[in-house]
Amino acid sequence: MNSNKVEQLVIATVGFFWCFLMWFSTAAFSPSIAAKYNLSIKDLGLLASSAIWMAPVGRIVAGWASDRFGAPRTFACILAGCGAVSIASAYTTSYELLFAERVIVAIAGVSFVVGIQHVAQWFDSHEIGTAEGLYAGTGNVGAGVGALLLPRIFGTDYHSAFLWLGAIALAIAAWYLVRGSAAKTVERRSAARRGSDWRGTIFVWSRFIAIALMFAYAMSFGLEIAMNAWLPGYFTRGFHDAILGLGFSGVAGLQIAAGTFAAVESFNASLFRPFAGFMSDLFQRKGWTPLPFIAKELPYAPRLHWLGIALILITLAMAGLTVAGLSGSLPWSVAVLVAFGIFLSFGTGGTFALVPLLFPDRPGIAAGFIGGVSTAGGIVYPLIFASSANIHMGYFYVALYLFVPFVLFYFWAARYERHPEEHGLFESGLAGQEA
Amino acid sequence: MMSPVEMPAVHEPWYKYGIAVLVLEMAIAIAVSAYSLYMTFNGLGGFPGKH
Repeated sequence: MNSNKVEQLVIATVGFFWCFLMWFSTAAFSPSIAAKYNLSIKDLGLLASSAIWMAPVGRIVAGWASDRFGAPRTFACILAGCGAVSIASAYTTSYELLFAERVIVAIAGVSFVVGIQHVAQWFDSHEIGTAEGLYAGTGNVGAGVGALLLPRIFGTDYHSAFLWLGAIALAIAAWYLVRGSAAKTVERRSAARRGSDWRGTIFVWSRFIAIALMFAYAMSFGLEIAMNAWLPGYFTRGFHDAILGLGFSGVAGLQIAAGTFAAVESFNASLFRPFAGFMSDLFQRKGWTPLPFIAKELPYAPRLHWLGIALILITLAMAGLTVAGLSGSLPWSVAVLVAFGIFLSFGTGGTFALVPLLFPDRPGIAAGFIGGVSTAGGIVYPLIFASSANIHMGYFYVALYLFVPFVLFYFWAARYERHPEEHGLFESGLAGQEA
Repeated sequence: MMSPVEMPAVHEPWYKYGIAVLVLEMAIAIAVSAYSLYMTFNGLGGFPGKH
C-alpha cells in the first residue's frame, strides 16, 4: 500500500470537512429558501430537523460498509452521491423536490464513521487519540465554517452554493478514490473485512463496553447537536430581559445574542476535540488511572479513565447550567456554557480514542453503532428540556435521570481487567465470535 | 496514581505537527469566543457572521 498515514489523515479530514459543509449548507440558506417558497415557521423547523434524520441508521450502514469495502470506496460513494444530488438541487424549482434532495444531501453527515474507520486502520495505538481528534475536530469545523462563510460568499444565491459544493465534492471523491488506501497493512484490511459479517455486527452491538461508549457519545456528541438546536431558544426565553439590557432590541437583536452564545459552545466543542484526543494519548503515556472501579491493568486503561473524567465533568456542567440559569446571571450561564462546550469535546475525543482499540478488527461496525445510535440524543434531549415547567431545570433532569445512570453503567462496564469486550448481553461464542 | 501499563512512546515526526495544529485550533476557539462574547456583552454584535 504505497502511501503514508499523514496523507490518509489529510484526505479523510478534507473529505469529512466537506461532507459537514454540505450537511449543514441547507441550514445556512434556510432564510433564503424560506423567502423564496414562503415557508411557515413549521416548514422551517421541518427543514432544519431533516438534516439529522438519516444519521442514526445511515452511520450504522456506513460503518459496516467501510469495514466491508474499505473507507476510500465508501467515502467516495458518499461524496459523489451527495455531490451529484447537491448539483441537482441547484436547478430544482419545486420546494417538495428540493426538500427531498436536501434530505439526501444530508446523508453526507454519515461520513464521520467512515473516516474514523479509515484513520483507525492507519494509526497505531499510542497516537490514535490525537489522530482521531485531529480528523474529527477539524472536520467538524466544516459545519461552523459553512454557517459563517457560505452566506457571505454567495449571499442569498443558494443555487450557486449548492452547485459549487456538489462540484467540489465530486472532485474530492475522485481524489479519495485515487489516493486513498484502506489500511496500513493488508493484514489489517483483511481483519476488518472478515469481521464485517452479521455475526460481527451482533457481537459489537451486544457488548456492554460498546453500549457504554454509545451512551458516552450520546452524552457528548448527541448532547452537542441537541444544544445546537436548543440553546438559541433557551437564551431568548430564559434571559430575555438580560439580553435586552445589553443593548439589543427586537427579535433580530435577541437572535444575534442568543445565537452567539450557542455558536461559542459549538465552536469550542469542535475545536477542543483534537486536544481531548491528545489528552487521551497523554493519560495513556503517563499511565494515569485515578478513578475507582474502572480497570487499571488493561493496555488502554488510562484512556478509559480519561473518558470517565470527561463524563463526570459533562454531568456536573449540566447541573451547573441549571444552577447558573436559576441564579438569573447571564454572565455566569455563559461562563458555564463555555466550560460545558470544552467538556463535551473531552467526551467526543475521549470516546473515539477508545473505539478502535476496543474493536480493532471491527472499527467501522463499532464506530457506526456508537456514532450512529447516539445521535438519537439530538432528538431526545430537546424534548426533555422543552417539557420542563422551569426552562432552566431541564439540564438537571437530563443529568440526574439519564447521565448519572449512563456514568454508573460506564463504570460498571469498564471494570473488567481482562478483555471487557468478552462481556455482553450473551456469551461472545453465541455471536459466533471469539473476543 | 500510576498504572503498570505505562510505557515509553516514541512519536514519529508527524506528531509534533499534529500537536501544533491542535494548539492552533484551541487558540482560534479561544480568540473567536473571546471576541464574540466581548461584542455581545457590550451590545455591539455577535458571533462573526451574525452581526
